[in-house]
Amino acid sequence: MLILRRIPRWATTGGALVAVLLCAGLLQLANANPAASQTLTLTAWQASEDPGLDPNHELWSRTQFVQAPLTAQAGSYAAGGGSIPVVWARALHYNNTLYVRLEWEDSTQDGSALKVEQFADAAAVEFPAKSATSVPSVCMGQADMGVNIWQWRADSLGNPNELYANSVVDTYPSTDDLFYTARAAGNPYANPKQGPVQNLVAVAFGTLSPAATQDVQGQGAYSNGRWSVVFSRPFTGASEDLAAFTAGTSTDIAFAVWNGSEGDRNGRKSVSSFLTLNVSGAAIPEPEGSDWLVLALAAGALLVIGGGGIGLGLYGLREGKRSA
Amino acid sequence: MAKVYNWQLGREMDYRFPNGKAKRQFAAVFNINRCIACQTCSMACKSTWTFSPGQELMWWNNVETKPYGGYPNHWDVNILALQEKANPGAQVWDAARRSGRAAPYGVFEGKTIFETADQVNNMVTGYIPPEADWKAPNIHEDTATAAPAAGVTLPEHGGWFFYLQRICNHCSYPACLAACPRNAIYKREEDGIVLIDQNRCRGYRKCVEACPYKKSMYRPSTRTSEKCIACYPRIEGSDPLTEGLPMETRCMAACVGKIRLQGLVRVDDRGEWIEDRQNPLYYLVHVAKVALPLYPQFGTQPNVYYIPPRWVPRPYLRQMFGPGVDDAIAAYTHPERETVAVLQLFRASQRIVFSYKIEPGPKTAEITVGGQKREIFNDTIIGYDSNGKEVVRVTVDEPTAERPGQLNSI
Repeated sequence: MLILRRIPRWATTGGALVAVLLCAGLLQLANANPAASQTLTLTAWQASEDPGLDPNHELWSRTQFVQAPLTAQAGSYAAGGGSIPVVWARALHYNNTLYVRLEWEDSTQDGSALKVEQFADAAAVEFPAKSATSVPSVCMGQADMGVNIWQWRADSLGNPNELYANSVVDTYPSTDDLFYTARAAGNPYANPKQGPVQNLVAVAFGTLSPAATQDVQGQGAYSNGRWSVVFSRPFTGASEDLAAFTAGTSTDIAFAVWNGSEGDRNGRKSVSSFLTLNVSGAAIPEPEGSDWLVLALAAGALLVIGGGGIGLGLYGLREGKRSA
Repeated sequence: MAKVYNWQLGREMDYRFPNGKAKRQFAAVFNINRCIACQTCSMACKSTWTFSPGQELMWWNNVETKPYGGYPNHWDVNILALQEKANPGAQVWDAARRSGRAAPYGVFEGKTIFETADQVNNMVTGYIPPEADWKAPNIHEDTATAAPAAGVTLPEHGGWFFYLQRICNHCSYPACLAACPRNAIYKREEDGIVLIDQNRCRGYRKCVEACPYKKSMYRPSTRTSEKCIACYPRIEGSDPLTEGLPMETRCMAACVGKIRLQGLVRVDDRGEWIEDRQNPLYYLVHVAKVALPLYPQFGTQPNVYYIPPRWVPRPYLRQMFGPGVDDAIAAYTHPERETVAVLQLFRASQRIVFSYKIEPGPKTAEITVGGQKREIFNDTIIGYDSNGKEVVRVTVDEPTAERPGQLNSI
């Protein structure tokens, strides 16, 4: 820390600039669609076969992603989050069913909330309700323009006894639903038949409620420090307060990610702004033809800029050591 | 943030919501001096409400041995430390500014748990006790601070412990309610009971984090939080035994040591108690001032009041019950004739007593306590239900009968 603090500021700033340029160059090479403008567009392509719920389905690797920056939720209590800076989103549709796949980096896999101090990782996509006449507030909608939220959670219902193989209970007098109070009260979170994705509606902060129809499916997978989650629902929303999709039209989509080990839940989360979701009638485009000249020029420029950056960094380190 | 009046602090304070309309408030007095920690209350509660999968670590009612015990472990010193850190050296009372029912203990000059929070990330200063902290509800049972070879004497024992009986305080300004981002917690207008809507709860545990008394508890088998419901079906009079009239909670009714008296008091729109001279709770809290709120400085205006233990060092008790401790102990050690009679109502009936009358009786004893002479009168106290019908009649002197010697099997 001491050494870093003594590196001349112009050297570190220069290094950071180079790093940004490098990232941008790499993104171009990787066929990604970076934040070229304030409004990003996520295109849902027409798939040639059913991608299903498996986040590792081969179709996804051929689908272009959009990188959506996330920030801490600061609009309302309970504010916070921000530990997940970016989510990579892809979308497809097949047989009038929309599939959205999110992917993000999270070094901790929080798949259980059996202990009071544990919070599960989660992710959500948000759409304007079918009834919304223009774009609602991305912050949980507003009174006349609601939002439809699909939230996936990494945990499932359980019992703390599962944590302790040698625990002993004499007897539970009754295990009817009535004795799982929230289940008896109709809370979908407490319903063992509820899948990992909940279909929710909201018209303001604090109004998030389960939708009458729970028809959103989903599945998450964790590997190599990354979560991949697929959400899926037929185009037609069961009611006016839910999202609806039609091939050849656009709507809006926003993302949220909760990092359980950071204590994220409720408003404490990493959120995006609204992106345009273009439900395209076109098939997944083939990877663009490799123009050798463009590629060579890009690689050359990257080498020059990268070399400069490394040089600057080394100079900064040397200066830092000398002043220490 | 709204400004609300907290009479236990003798001042206005910040709270997320303005005062709601309240007609009556659930309240109770626990006499710490009489508790034997038999845990009958704990079992009465557990066998009524929390015996199902996922509730294994839940004790809506618990009795812990102070100063070392706690469920969850160290809940109170943890909150005190957080508050002290947020407002170092300034968590103090001005006990001289006492003023009637509006400021009976003086004025708290420090900050409440609402006032030390940033109102952006948190509405309330608090923390989530990890699972391990909930697993030893009776840890340090009967552990005294020391065992002086010479024994102990009043007014302050050289080695001491006492039992603290705890349920949800059904606070006038509940921290759990203020903390819930989705308004799943509500306080009932008719009796001030605080409940978590099990349909709306999404298990965020902001209430677990916020409640300074740690009486909101997480249930993993439903992924929601649950809490003491003040046995509201009994309070509503739906138990056939009382024929539609309000009935005390299970933990109160089961109390073997007769330490508990529970009822409903009339409150105004500012959360202050309306004068109700013949209500036994009103008498004990506002007239005799023998019973005090638990950690009033947290600012939630809790509604369970404690008669502090006579033998415990006063600085510890002042920290726990505020500056009213010395007067309360004096009023219990040398009680008014009326106080002695009202104390007989504890556990005399399952039906909630709304008012009482005392019929004077003859002087039956003269005793000396702490060098002061006291006369005992065998008065009769009569308790009445919400309809003004007599539900209990009890005398100061317990009726005794001597068994003939030849029948004694010992």
